[in-house]
Amino acid sequence: MTVAREIGARLVSDVPALELRGVGKCFRLYRDINRSLKEKVVNWRKRGYELFWALQDVDLTVYKGETISVIGPNGSGKSTMLRLMTGIMKPNRGSIATHGTIAALLDLGAGFHPDLTGRENIYLNASILGIRKKDLEPIFQDIIDFSDLGPFIDNQVKNYSAGMYVRLGFSIAINVNPDILLVDEVLAVGDESFQAKCLDRISRLQESGKTIVLVTHNADLAEAVSDRVLWLERGRVKMLGDPQEVVDAYHEAMSTRPEGTEFGNRDIVIESVQLLDGEGRPSEVFRTGEPLVLRLRYTARKPVEDPVFGFGFYDRLGLMVFGTNTRLREVDIPRVEGSGVVEFVIPSLSMLDGRYYVSVAAHTRDGQVNYHWLDKKYCFDVTSPGRDSGYLTMECEIRVSSGG
Amino acid sequence: MKEYLRKLFFYRELLLNLTVKEVKVKYKNSFIGFLWSMVNPVMMLAVYYVAFGIIFKLRALGMTRYEFYLLSGILPWNFFSLSLMQSVSSVVNNADLVKKVYFPREVLPLSYIGAASFHFLLQELVLVVFLLIFRLSLSPWIFAMPLLLLLQLVFTAGLSLYLSALNVFFRDIQHFTEIALLAWFWITPVVYPISFIQESFPAWAERIYMLNPMAHIVLLWQRITYNSPANGPQAAYFSVEGFVYAVVLSVFLLISGYYLFCRLEGRFAEFI
Repeated sequence: MTVAREIGARLVSDVPALELRGVGKCFRLYRDINRSLKEKVVNWRKRGYELFWALQDVDLTVYKGETISVIGPNGSGKSTMLRLMTGIMKPNRGSIATHGTIAALLDLGAGFHPDLTGRENIYLNASILGIRKKDLEPIFQDIIDFSDLGPFIDNQVKNYSAGMYVRLGFSIAINVNPDILLVDEVLAVGDESFQAKCLDRISRLQESGKTIVLVTHNADLAEAVSDRVLWLERGRVKMLGDPQEVVDAYHEAMSTRPEGTEFGNRDIVIESVQLLDGEGRPSEVFRTGEPLVLRLRYTARKPVEDPVFGFGFYDRLGLMVFGTNTRLREVDIPRVEGSGVVEFVIPSLSMLDGRYYVSVAAHTRDGQVNYHWLDKKYCFDVTSPGRDSGYLTMECEIRVSSGG
Repeated sequence: MKEYLRKLFFYRELLLNLTVKEVKVKYKNSFIGFLWSMVNPVMMLAVYYVAFGIIFKLRALGMTRYEFYLLSGILPWNFFSLSLMQSVSSVVNNADLVKKVYFPREVLPLSYIGAASFHFLLQELVLVVFLLIFRLSLSPWIFAMPLLLLLQLVFTAGLSLYLSALNVFFRDIQHFTEIALLAWFWITPVVYPISFIQESFPAWAERIYMLNPMAHIVLLWQRITYNSPANGPQAAYFSVEGFVYAVVLSVFLLISGYYLFCRLEGRFAEFI
């Protein structure tokens, strides 16, 4: 099974960098830990633990130059897998073969000594990662530059802020130039500009043919940066393959229904919300460029002056993609009483593929009092004809001409 | 085993860096830094002189320069005891590192022994300087110091590997070691001369006493650093069998301890 395929400008080889064959890792879950000798002696016949298989029958070949992301819910064995790859733990079953040097970003700054300066810690940390001094010298300045610590590099690490600490740790790990880089959820730290810098560095590592294994909760990040995605579920491989397919299936499984909330004083109650397609039929799947009508029915038990109705679409990360309301669109509703209907008509959806959550609300003009707010209680999927990539479709005319 | 040794060799710089770190950190933020390691034996010498030379008047018992005798035994003993105490809990105390990064774990106990050796060498230097200042004759055996240091390192490392590995699974070990060292000190001829044991106890008791490898190691230190004949006819005690015994036992401890350590190493991360 050779997977030599071209991804963008990169070529993934069919030379394995990491090979996991039937790997299983089992932990003993102690009911009551017998850590002292006395307890061990007293209870020597009793097996005070249950076996828990954190990983079972995992087969995976990571090819040289490939980026694989491992996704899965908490406790699915992602981090255990990474620890087995580094050799921190040994598998109980199966075998793991690695070809090339490995650096792991499991915990940034593990092994920093608070009393030493940043500079001294670079030497120490690099040697913990298995870097020789002669290999460190040429990249030493890069590490300092990348960390953005400036003069603080000669301060004791105990005086660093959490962000500085992490920056230095990441800077060391990413600059030591391993053949295989294992990354565990560390991109979640640091401010935005540092994260962008890290992602940029990762894509540069990809370009230079490094093998990367990324463990993350963020399936969309996995989809964006990987060549293949591995989905672990209760220690077993649930799915392995094309990032988009796996991530879509993962989202499908993870968010079968949105978990919404509602709140408000209920002077106005939103009784129902419907998503209608161009023909006025309720639907949950829409196509990019097609119309969508959001219809909500309300009941006001007592007269309410000057209410505002609105809605918002949110993506899977909870970011608002689009939203508006009657105040913003200057639609005045002087007074409501009894039941009624508000329709938001969108003639052409701009969003590309994905699942979107819908919030609807009725509140006062100043937004201080919510009558009724249904937060992300509804969702719909959008499929696009595949002509564009990114988040949105736009009108785009392409002009090609030759010559000057 | 060969594979493990190859890995350890690959990580030799880590061992050095961790040792340097320990040395640096010990006296970090102190004004005279590592000079404290040298002040220490000077102070000990002064205190022993006042206590045993002036107050207890041991000179009357035929022990001349008892303070030098004591120092030449107590420095290697302190080195042994400090190395052992620190290395026993070394794996457990570096749990963060062990759980997060792969490297041969034996560098942890070994680095503490390395750092302790550095301080010990400084202290021995002070001892030799003071022997010269007080015009006490140095024996030519002084040049055997590196060999003796090697013997003690092998013994200490072997024992540390056993204890630090087992301590991950039974934390009792580190507490037990503390108490055991206290008793061990008194069954080692540091404070009293070996002749005391030979004269006051039957031969079979002496044979049991001599099973203690640290007794041989400390005797050798005393032999090479300060063995004034004025301390009694037995002061220059040297037994070839004893030396061979200590060497064989130390090498055995090191090899078997390393083997055990490597066998258990893979389970450290999940147990800590």
